[in-house]
Amino acid sequence: MSYKTKKRLVNIPILIVLIIFGAVIIVPIIWITICAFRPQTELMQYPPKFFATELTLGNFSAISQRIKIWTYVGNSVIYCLGSTVPSVFLNALAGYAFARMRFKGKNILFILVLATMMIPFQVIMVPLFLEVYKFGMYDNFAGLIIPNLGAAITVFMLRASFSMLPKELEEAARIDGLTEFGIFAKIMLPLVKPTLVTVIVLGINGAWNDLMWPLLVTSNTNMRTLTNGLALFIDSSLQYGTAFAGAFISICPMFVLYIIGQKYFVEGTATSGLKG
Amino acid sequence: MTKRIKTFWNKPSHLAYLFVMPVVLLLVVFRIAPMFAAFACSFFDVNMFLEGKGFVGLDNFIEAISDTRFWNSFWVTIKYTLIEVPLQMIIGLLLGGLLTKNTFRNKFFRGAYFLPIVCSATAVGIMWRMFMHSNVGILTYWLKLLGLNVNFLNSTDITFFVIIFMSVWRSFGITTVIFVSAMQNVPGELYESADLDGCSKIRQFFAITIPVIKETFSFVLITRLIGSLQVFDLVFTTTKGGPNYTTETLVYYTYVKAFSNNRMGYGSAVSMFLFVIILIITVIFYKRLFKEEA
Repeated sequence: MSYKTKKRLVNIPILIVLIIFGAVIIVPIIWITICAFRPQTELMQYPPKFFATELTLGNFSAISQRIKIWTYVGNSVIYCLGSTVPSVFLNALAGYAFARMRFKGKNILFILVLATMMIPFQVIMVPLFLEVYKFGMYDNFAGLIIPNLGAAITVFMLRASFSMLPKELEEAARIDGLTEFGIFAKIMLPLVKPTLVTVIVLGINGAWNDLMWPLLVTSNTNMRTLTNGLALFIDSSLQYGTAFAGAFISICPMFVLYIIGQKYFVEGTATSGLKG
Repeated sequence: MTKRIKTFWNKPSHLAYLFVMPVVLLLVVFRIAPMFAAFACSFFDVNMFLEGKGFVGLDNFIEAISDTRFWNSFWVTIKYTLIEVPLQMIIGLLLGGLLTKNTFRNKFFRGAYFLPIVCSATAVGIMWRMFMHSNVGILTYWLKLLGLNVNFLNSTDITFFVIIFMSVWRSFGITTVIFVSAMQNVPGELYESADLDGCSKIRQFFAITIPVIKETFSFVLITRLIGSLQVFDLVFTTTKGGPNYTTETLVYYTYVKAFSNNRMGYGSAVSMFLFVIILIITVIFYKRLFKEEA
């Protein structure tokens, strides 16, 4: 047997393993996508069929009659943008200072920031909730967003990117008469754009899919995010079609984001060790 | 005057404080202070309006350790972690090894395995609840055709493993991607010389790849362990702890006690048990890491 055919024979079992794992991932996703567009009567039929014989948008109008799904979507968008854009800016400031500025107490402050990465969210959720409640941030966007603005992992990632930039850039900008803030905002920040995009993409995905925090700090139906509003709705619903439609609406935007920004998802995960 | 302020803050050593201040304040107020407050809170009997019996000493802890439902959730969490994490690691290593090279095929599969990570726990919960539904679920039906009658979602034996399966399904793409990037950094010469010695690919994997990526391995292990111990989302969106508490994890129990029953002090006390377990794992891990460096 030639080397090439031998290599091909080894490849076949590998390919089979990869395809099996791929099928386990993709089959349920395809199935709920199809089901989201199926009439309720067809969903109730026994035996169930994989492919649809009839397609409809009925489930989407049904779910928008049952719950304020578009309000939830809007809240999710606000939560995503509100907790990523200002957060990235503030964390970039800190990352920049830790990477490129000398100041007293730098090491202690940096260790303090890093130490917060060790604090499990589930352990502090009760007091954090009480704090938010006492500060009058219960059931509003302030409570959803502000406690999540500081993120040690973002500081850490941006610090790494900032510290790789050459010193000469800074000096040249200083000679040109830029202020220190100007150097940060006009010269340095644009140079770490890939890291910024990575952090924003991961942040948007994290906020969109966040279940627990919105569950704790909101109770008004007008304040629910999609992920938690949907989770609370499906318990009370026997309308399978609406559940599928809801899941489809929940998945779609992140699929689009993933297709556009796959590179950032993968790189960000490899470097930060995204939790999941 | 304004000019003096401007020149003062234009020095890097001064401006740095303005730069780090917002984040440090946020982290102190919303991460570090709650950590201490959690500890303090566990000695009090309070609800969310901070009303209640006040200081009760160790009562919350005593109540927890004498509650069989607490111990059940404790062991469910441990069992869950001890099964989910090794599964996740093995699949991640296997697929990482198979997908290391940057070929088109490998990129395609890596991309596909990553898909569930962008799905919310709610969507994943709906998806598998419907897929495994006892009447309309197509998986249940397919298995019935094969002569298997499986009750996925309401069985005291199986449902627990369904949660583990869903969790692995949701995040093995992450472990795979992390291992791939670590394996791509293994120097190629190591494999070349092993090839010359006639070492099989499988032996190379265990003798070269795994020892070289040891640090990534420990990192993934510890983050997975800590993540698994805090499992909540999938339980909440799929089983709510049922049937018969077989999927009720520690965090879910904490959530029910603190937020559904409005007992913040007791919830904090329960979360202290979780904190101690996580602390022990972290300390063991760092001790090992520092020992290796020394």
